Amino acid sequence: MTHLRLEGLTRRFAGTPHPAVDGVSLELPRGALLALLGPSGCGKTTTLRMIAGLEVPDTGRVVVADRDVTALPPHRRNMGVVFQSYALFPHMTAAANVAFGLEMRGIPRAERQARVAEALDLVGLRDYAARKPSKLSGGQQQRVALARALAIRPDLLLLDEPLSALDAKLREGVRDEIRALQQRVGATTVFVTHDQTEALAMADLVAVMNEGRVEQLGTPEEVFERPATRFVATFVGRAARLPGKVEAPGVVHCGAVAVKAAATPAPGASVELFIRPHHIRPLAEGHSADNALDAQVLRRTFTGDVVALECATPAGTLTAELHGGTPGASAAVGSRLRLGFAAQDVRVFPA
Amino acid sequence: MSAALLLLPAVLILAAGFLYPVALLGRISLNRTSDIGAMEPDLTLATFEKVVGDDFTWELAWNTATLAAGSALAATALALPVVLLIRAAPPRWRGLLSLMAIAPLLVSGTARIVGWLAILGDQGLINAMLEGLGLTSEPVRLINNWTGVRIGLTESLMPYACLVLIAGLGRLDPRLEEAAATLGATRTKTFLRVTLPLAAPALLAAFLLTFVLGVSAFITPRLMGGGRVFVVATEIFDLALETVDWPAAAALAMLLLGALAVALVLRTALMRSARA
Amino acid sequence: MRPGWALRLLAFCGYALLLAPVIVVALISFSAGDFLTFPPPGFSTRWYEALFANGQLMAALQRSAILASVVAVIALLAGLPAAYAIARLRFPGRDAIAMLIAAPLLLPTLVLGLALLLALQPLKLAATWPGLVLAHSMVALPFAVRIMTTAFGAVPREVEEAAWTLGATPMRAALRITLPIAAPGAAAAGALCFLVSFDETVISLFLVGPRLSTLPVEMFRYVETRTDPLVAALAMALIGVALAVVLLVERLVGFNRALGRS
Repeated sequence: MTHLRLEGLTRRFAGTPHPAVDGVSLELPRGALLALLGPSGCGKTTTLRMIAGLEVPDTGRVVVADRDVTALPPHRRNMGVVFQSYALFPHMTAAANVAFGLEMRGIPRAERQARVAEALDLVGLRDYAARKPSKLSGGQQQRVALARALAIRPDLLLLDEPLSALDAKLREGVRDEIRALQQRVGATTVFVTHDQTEALAMADLVAVMNEGRVEQLGTPEEVFERPATRFVATFVGRAARLPGKVEAPGVVHCGAVAVKAAATPAPGASVELFIRPHHIRPLAEGHSADNALDAQVLRRTFTGDVVALECATPAGTLTAELHGGTPGASAAVGSRLRLGFAAQDVRVFPA
Repeated sequence: MSAALLLLPAVLILAAGFLYPVALLGRISLNRTSDIGAMEPDLTLATFEKVVGDDFTWELAWNTATLAAGSALAATALALPVVLLIRAAPPRWRGLLSLMAIAPLLVSGTARIVGWLAILGDQGLINAMLEGLGLTSEPVRLINNWTGVRIGLTESLMPYACLVLIAGLGRLDPRLEEAAATLGATRTKTFLRVTLPLAAPALLAAFLLTFVLGVSAFITPRLMGGGRVFVVATEIFDLALETVDWPAAAALAMLLLGALAVALVLRTALMRSARA
Repeated sequence: MRPGWALRLLAFCGYALLLAPVIVVALISFSAGDFLTFPPPGFSTRWYEALFANGQLMAALQRSAILASVVAVIALLAGLPAAYAIARLRFPGRDAIAMLIAAPLLLPTLVLGLALLLALQPLKLAATWPGLVLAHSMVALPFAVRIMTTAFGAVPREVEEAAWTLGATPMRAALRITLPIAAPGAAAAGALCFLVSFDETVISLFLVGPRLSTLPVEMFRYVETRTDPLVAALAMALIGVALAVVLLVERLVGFNRALGRS
């Protein structure tokens, strides 16, 4: 059942040539977590702010549970927002921060205290209730912000880059915590991030945004394995990019060879091929693949659990990523091998 | 929350306490003073003509301009070494040295003049020193004349010059002077060839600000001059409260405002060309 | 580069000129002599005793303190909402309003004093409390608005937005969140407005009367007519009040926080 629906949201800021958000439409089922993923300036935060009511769209509607909230000011929307900077009230304790939204709703003191305790328990910060934000670590501040947003039992939980202010070491743990918490309380959630790993790991649905538009809306697997546009293919995950020309349906001429692909534009079109490094593997003697190319190792990069082999092939330069110990992972620079990949793993986009 | 409602109290205070009085000042400068000294409502430039046609006005203008220019120049020149010292001092001393340079702003002008009276008076510090050294037998007159006013005004303008120079020279990289020294420049050469040219825009800004403040200074000329020093400000005060010739006081005040406006425009133009 | 001796000497001369009058006033206020003789013929506290026994000056001190307190409160009450609007809201003519509020600082106080005299005398408001309060509030207001605009500007917008999303109306968010966070700035602004009024001399000279006078005006008149160390003791009293207010702000909120540097 659709809980959040955006219809053609558009917002143009004065003095800028292009709209920051340009006709964004999407639907999100109740209880799902949507990641708005894109580079900085793609309009993801502006979209989130329009959902929260902090920014007014020029055109378009925000519909929550079949109710049009576009005209409502933020204080009447009942949305829990976790800001990038957390925006904790520095002059109030953690408990007072969490209680603020309940106080604004006129909830009686006794119930308020119970719900504050409950929210702080939820994020494991009961013992820190009396501390001011300046006496909390970054991770604790982040959890207070989350408790504050959840305490009002929001219709929507909105998170703006909630992990970006944390140390890289903390991020993975907090990421899983937020996901677990979100699933436990069942809050329909929109999450803004520029980090594809975060988006893929946490979200039920990912909306990849670029220049104010949604390029693709799909599950993490769909977005990663079947990018709908060239931008999505470039932005999500890494890929070797080879220029070519469509020869016949399913065949692209690329460098000195023909490469088989699952779907192609009409013959004659100039295209670009995208092949993910983890889809390319060395072929053992006697094995075959849709595409099999002779290759010579140009560079070998060891990054711990993965070895990247940058190879020259008749189709162009390809990089294969292999887990340590798999056959071919120990290939030295200059050595020759055969690389193979499936036709369905070759994405073709008009150049 | 409406911006108009939030701004209303402040705008009311300014309308009643600033806009209306200043507008009325302009209006009254167009009135006339009758032969018996009463103000007569009119719409004439007669008062302006009378004020501008009076040689005394021009003497006042000259006195005021030379006093302000001299004191502003002295204040800027004396503030420069103070600020250069602040800039060269170790960081932990900088705060205290800066505070000492602008502390006089917190002390009322009249209080500081009492100090100058005790330093420059006939029985003051300077005369006691001069007589003690046997250089003079009679007290040298240092107050109730232009000398006293110049000294007092220079001191009262110095904190402002320091403020401007601290802001202006703070942006100057001290490594530039070190670079000059490594290239073989002496201290004097470094100062003349590197520091001074780079400090020029800030010095100009400090001079222009203190000049404008000096032109409209009232307390120092009045008290240090002992009623014997006449500038535009003292004349406006006397016309308003002693002679009670409001149109003339208003006209002179309008002329002062006009001169300050011209100075402001010149200052903006000069600062722009100095920065370019 | 370490400063050379020539720079040190010149800077010493500069500091001497800057600080000499204040130091001399402090010393001579303890003079035992009858005139502003320096060095004093001896030291005593007789002029402080004379100051406290001087009913006219003590009454003026009380009046100035009351006036400055009233002015500080009015300047804050009018300046806080105006500064909030300038710092936070977007509306047409915002720059013009900001310039208007700063404008009194551009005009010489002498001209402002004259203009106020011409305006208030016909309304029978010269030499009255309302007249003085209006005049001082007008000169104090730009300081209050300037400091508070900076203080409000330093409160992150997101903090206020967070309050909105939690259900606070813009008014409640401003009063419950933004204002308390900017409170140190408000304390500093109030203190500065107090001092601006307490030390204001030139405008007051135009607006006081025989029955209503302020301490700076009394001191000005005293210096015009007489030269005894009583006026040095009086000057010290003024400096003492200024220092007390500054220390109070420091004690309450700390200087760096008050100036928004923390």
